[in-house]
Amino acid sequence: MNAPKHSPWIWVGQAAIGASALGLWEWGARAGTLDKFFFSRPSDVAARVWQWVTSGSIWPHLGVTLLEALLAFTIGVFLGVLLGFLLARTPTAAVLLEPYIRMFNALPRVVLAPIFLLWFGLGIWSKVTLGVTVVFFIVFFNTYRGVKEVDPVIVNNARMLGASESQLIRHVLVPSALTWIFSSLHISIGFAMISVVVGEYLGSSKGVGYVISQAEGVFDTTGVFAGMTVLAAVVLMVGAAVERLERWLLRWKPESPIRAGERDL
Amino acid sequence: MTPSAVSLEAVTARFAGPGGTEYTAVEGVTLDVAEGAFVSLVGPSGCGKSTLLNMAAGLLAPSVGTVRIFGDPLRGINRRATCMFQQEALLPWKTVLDNVTLSLTFRKPRERKQSEELGRLWLKRVGLEEFADRFPYQLSGGMRKRVAMAQNWIAGPDILLMDEPFSALDIHTRLRMEGEILNLWAGSNKTVLFVTHDLEEAIALSDEVLVLSAGPAGRLVGRYPVDLPRPRNLIDIRAEPRFADLYRSIWTDLREEVLKSYERADYERRHAS
Repeated sequence: MNAPKHSPWIWVGQAAIGASALGLWEWGARAGTLDKFFFSRPSDVAARVWQWVTSGSIWPHLGVTLLEALLAFTIGVFLGVLLGFLLARTPTAAVLLEPYIRMFNALPRVVLAPIFLLWFGLGIWSKVTLGVTVVFFIVFFNTYRGVKEVDPVIVNNARMLGASESQLIRHVLVPSALTWIFSSLHISIGFAMISVVVGEYLGSSKGVGYVISQAEGVFDTTGVFAGMTVLAAVVLMVGAAVERLERWLLRWKPESPIRAGERDL
Repeated sequence: MTPSAVSLEAVTARFAGPGGTEYTAVEGVTLDVAEGAFVSLVGPSGCGKSTLLNMAAGLLAPSVGTVRIFGDPLRGINRRATCMFQQEALLPWKTVLDNVTLSLTFRKPRERKQSEELGRLWLKRVGLEEFADRFPYQLSGGMRKRVAMAQNWIAGPDILLMDEPFSALDIHTRLRMEGEILNLWAGSNKTVLFVTHDLEEAIALSDEVLVLSAGPAGRLVGRYPVDLPRPRNLIDIRAEPRFADLYRSIWTDLREEVLKSYERADYERRHAS
């Protein structure tokens, strides 16, 4: 983190950009340049979010979405890290499975959603499964690469100093792969949310995706935007928590390349 | 007669090259290092010095021949040796203290308290006691080498293998590090096998200098005992007449091999295109 990011002027500038975009939108909707039916208005959206929060009607939906995303994320990360490690340490298995992993990864996951709906029903598990298929591949590829790219000199040094295979994994391979795994966790959190919301959108009776789809069904643009706002806020909060954890775990790094990359985004 | 600390018996190392070819790094090398001796291995780049060291470390099994450590044939990692590498080998995610005590963490994971005490003692010995809680990236290159040195010595190896450990350091830091190595080694009865491409460094430090021929298929071309008295003053030793004599006689052999390695590099460059 370098100085300019913390400077109050940057903060003021960022706020100004957001405020002017919202202001322009609000002004356009009020002046009639933007059709209120199709574009709604920031003030209406804010009022709707406020109403959802104060009446408490959004919480059960948000709860379901978060639960699904959390399950998808946890299961996906667990499987991805596990398989990434296994395949990176057993090259034969990696060679055998490679074409299939590539094939499944090439498949657009949205097309699986209807299948999962048929298999697992309208409840949370069809969404969780969809999320897992997305999260798994991101984490898997990063873990695999992270373990593969460990500096051989570091590994040899540890072996000369008496490390057993399990100590090698714990003290050398896992920490070394952490940078990669963490860069994938960042992305996975967002993708887990997106995929469960897509799942809800396609067929469910609860969740933020369901709320959005219901609003869309009655041409309630304000409801759609309000749903998006809630989602974005939640993803940002969860992302910030992951970043804190990551900063602590990667405190041995002079400047994390992940954060450097993120700033470029 | 006591067996040599390290003995390579007619070892050959072959690697698979591109397109099914075979590359012979060293061929039929026999050498032994007596217990407690400081022996250097010099040769032009690409002669297979590091390959020989890796065989002594047990990181690489010879394609032909046997490696014996104190008389016993070596299988797998050499448990009686540690190796100081040219590249950075500290774990960047562990503090200086945790890096120094790494071998103790591996071998005696339950005795954390004693390990830590011993680690602090070693940090003091290499002059880094205030840096115990820093991470490697917060240290200079010379300091990191000191940490690596403590990390190797704390493991209490009978044999220390060193693969051009100081070649990345500036000349002054390097002189100091060489002095520190000699101080640690003096009277320790540990065996050191030191790989370098710098003949001056080899003569200044060692009891014996071994010269390897230009690669591929490097061979041992000469052994030169170094009879300079110990303890040695590394700053002044290079000015002594005996040092110059030794340097001249070894350099005549080494020079030829260095020239051959140049010729081969030129030849390969011409034929690569």
